[in-house]
Amino acid sequence: MRLFVRAYRSLRIGSTAVAIYLLYKVPAWTRRLLQRPPLGDDELTPTHQRAARLLLWTALGLRGVLIKFCQVVATRADVFPPAIIDILKQCHDAVPAHPFEEIREQVERELGKPLDAVFREFDREPIAAASLAQVHRAVLLHGEPVAVKVQYPDIERIVHTDLANMRRVCAVYEFFDPQPIALLPLVQELTRHLELELDFEREADCADRIRDLFARDGTVVVPQIHREWSTRRVLTMELVGGIKITERARIEAAGLRPTDVMQELMRIYTRMILAAGFFQADPHPGNLFVQENGHIVLLDFGLSKELPEGFGLGLFELMFSMMTLNQSAMVRAFEELGFETKNGDPSTFLLITERMMKRSDTGRFEGEFTEEMTDELFDAIRENPVVSVPSDFVLVGRAFSLLSGIGASLGARANVLEAMGASTGATS
Amino acid sequence: MAAPSTDLPLEYSREELLDSGSYDEPLIAGGVRCHGGFEADGSYRSPRTIHRAPAVQAWQERLRREDCDLIQIDPALMPPQYPNVEQAKLLLLEGVREPVVRRLTIISIVEGFGAIIRDVGVPDLASHVVEPITGTSLDHLEQGLFEAHARDEAGYRDEGGHKQMWEAARDLALENPKIPGDVLMQMMGQGPGRRRERKRGFPQIDERLERMLATMAQVLAVEVFAMGAFDWGERLLSDSEVSAEPEAAGRMVSFIRADESPHVEYLRTGLSEVAARTLRTVDGGSIPGREVVRGMLHSTLRGLTRERREEQRNDIRGALIEAMQVHANPASLLERFDELETKWTPPEHTGFEPEDPEPQA
Repeated sequence: MRLFVRAYRSLRIGSTAVAIYLLYKVPAWTRRLLQRPPLGDDELTPTHQRAARLLLWTALGLRGVLIKFCQVVATRADVFPPAIIDILKQCHDAVPAHPFEEIREQVERELGKPLDAVFREFDREPIAAASLAQVHRAVLLHGEPVAVKVQYPDIERIVHTDLANMRRVCAVYEFFDPQPIALLPLVQELTRHLELELDFEREADCADRIRDLFARDGTVVVPQIHREWSTRRVLTMELVGGIKITERARIEAAGLRPTDVMQELMRIYTRMILAAGFFQADPHPGNLFVQENGHIVLLDFGLSKELPEGFGLGLFELMFSMMTLNQSAMVRAFEELGFETKNGDPSTFLLITERMMKRSDTGRFEGEFTEEMTDELFDAIRENPVVSVPSDFVLVGRAFSLLSGIGASLGARANVLEAMGASTGATS
Repeated sequence: MAAPSTDLPLEYSREELLDSGSYDEPLIAGGVRCHGGFEADGSYRSPRTIHRAPAVQAWQERLRREDCDLIQIDPALMPPQYPNVEQAKLLLLEGVREPVVRRLTIISIVEGFGAIIRDVGVPDLASHVVEPITGTSLDHLEQGLFEAHARDEAGYRDEGGHKQMWEAARDLALENPKIPGDVLMQMMGQGPGRRRERKRGFPQIDERLERMLATMAQVLAVEVFAMGAFDWGERLLSDSEVSAEPEAAGRMVSFIRADESPHVEYLRTGLSEVAARTLRTVDGGSIPGREVVRGMLHSTLRGLTRERREEQRNDIRGALIEAMQVHANPASLLERFDELETKWTPPEHTGFEPEDPEPQA
């Protein structure tokens, strides 16, 4: 990477960090000088909004890791206030495409052959472009249409530079601020995610694993990977079509009921997360399609996640206890999942469960369990900051939150208990 | 049920049907406060039965007074447990604990799933039933009967329900065993390809009404058949050869069994009330409720006693054989295990076959 690009990125990241730091600190120092009390949470909302907009602006300018960082922050409602989350939630991983010549060079370098030795056709315009890679439609020599995901040249070095800059910024921040927000763990979390996403061979393995998981169903479509034309940076896969999962009108025009689509989607995710302990952790609408026969298409397995042993059962217990408003079971589930209080006092969990109890008294399973409950849970945790949240839980919470968003777009609700395997025929 | 009394009222509020009253001593299992509790004489009293039990009794009496049949599912239709008590004992004595732990855990989860009954939509029954329904259990389904059932199964607020009680019985008897990681996969592994088609059996009636009645018929059948699981659990967990706490674990299952009895009774009462009435069809006509209820019970019982039993047995057997591999001689163990299996052929008739139309005069 050219030196000046690296210097420019470092400068932008550093100056944004300083600007955000000063946004908070200058008023605080001024108030201290004037012997006024510090600003309260509500009074800080405009500052939070300005800081989030500044970060978003820099991220959209620099793309790459910064976009991912914003997305990670937006999932941490347990750490950051809603004013920041709401703005950073808008940070979509869709960016202008890289020039075709760059992509051609990358594919040829990776496959060790000229493009036309592998593909009969290769569209110059991508189907989609994100911060780490873009996807092109192509046709193999024997005539099979495929999708080719190509990692941007040099992206690994950009990622490493940006991560190093961010670690430096966090270290400086923690040096100056006696009670910092734990930013370094977020950067570490981001580093782990990016390592996963940059390895397309692992992504191919994950796709195979998820396909196997649903092999008996015959209703979940995971594109077949063409291993012979795939490498760590290029992924050639079966081209599958479908209706974007949030396009309600097209789904209904195909004779499908949005409620059934949502229920099936929830079943797929509860099965991956709770039963298999391995899931595609990025269920945003660009990665999910529904075919006219009702089959669900899953795409993009870069952020697939293996959960620790017993996590699925623990999460099942937590969800079940939340839905049945069973406070004592909820406390046990928190402990089993690895939530921790800094002083080891379980009464903190009781505070959180009491807040959850106030949420609703209906005890119904049909409805916006995921979004309402995960939002409420994360709010409760943020307000009781002695609790640390397992990072796996954050990823799962994000997945359910995205599913809820899809439900809202479809105007449909899933019955979570039914998705977990309950049917009226299974009751006793 | 208690002896008939004609003085019992037929109308109850939701609060009454959900009322447990107070206990002399609460039921605590495995450190968890559960529902139900003990009277001064030490006897166990099920939750939410202060008014619910006499209410169901009153509605059943009314049916008898009106000369209507109370639905009865033939216990001979109940498939045997797999593995049965002797087979489960053999596994535990031979150190193959996983299948029994898995089975007990699945029972606890399925019990909890019973709470989904509170999500069954109850339509405006008065508009779908020709005869009046005041003073019947049908009129109280949404007024506390479904909710009480849900709370019994999954627990509510700070009280555990049957889910937690089964877990406690398992943990007492088998000393907090490690839960197999594939428990949920065993339950959720049934993909849509194997899910039964939800075909409408009675499209001539309101869809919501049909769904509610079909659910009640299904749940009734499963509740009746669950008595086999209670027998199995009580016998196994109270056996001192395999249970660390035979008395406490067995008693826990007996409490669950006692709690389940009101579920069977209110469901068969409600379906009997429908069978004694006439349902309006969507085209403005009518259909005897008896025809609808019998048709639903027949198809449910056929499914449960035939293909579903085979599916469940095959699923359990696969995991069971895998678990036996920890044994020094798995082939011999499997042979001994198979010799203990209860031979069973589903009865030819469910007792709810469609009736011949009235002979023409």
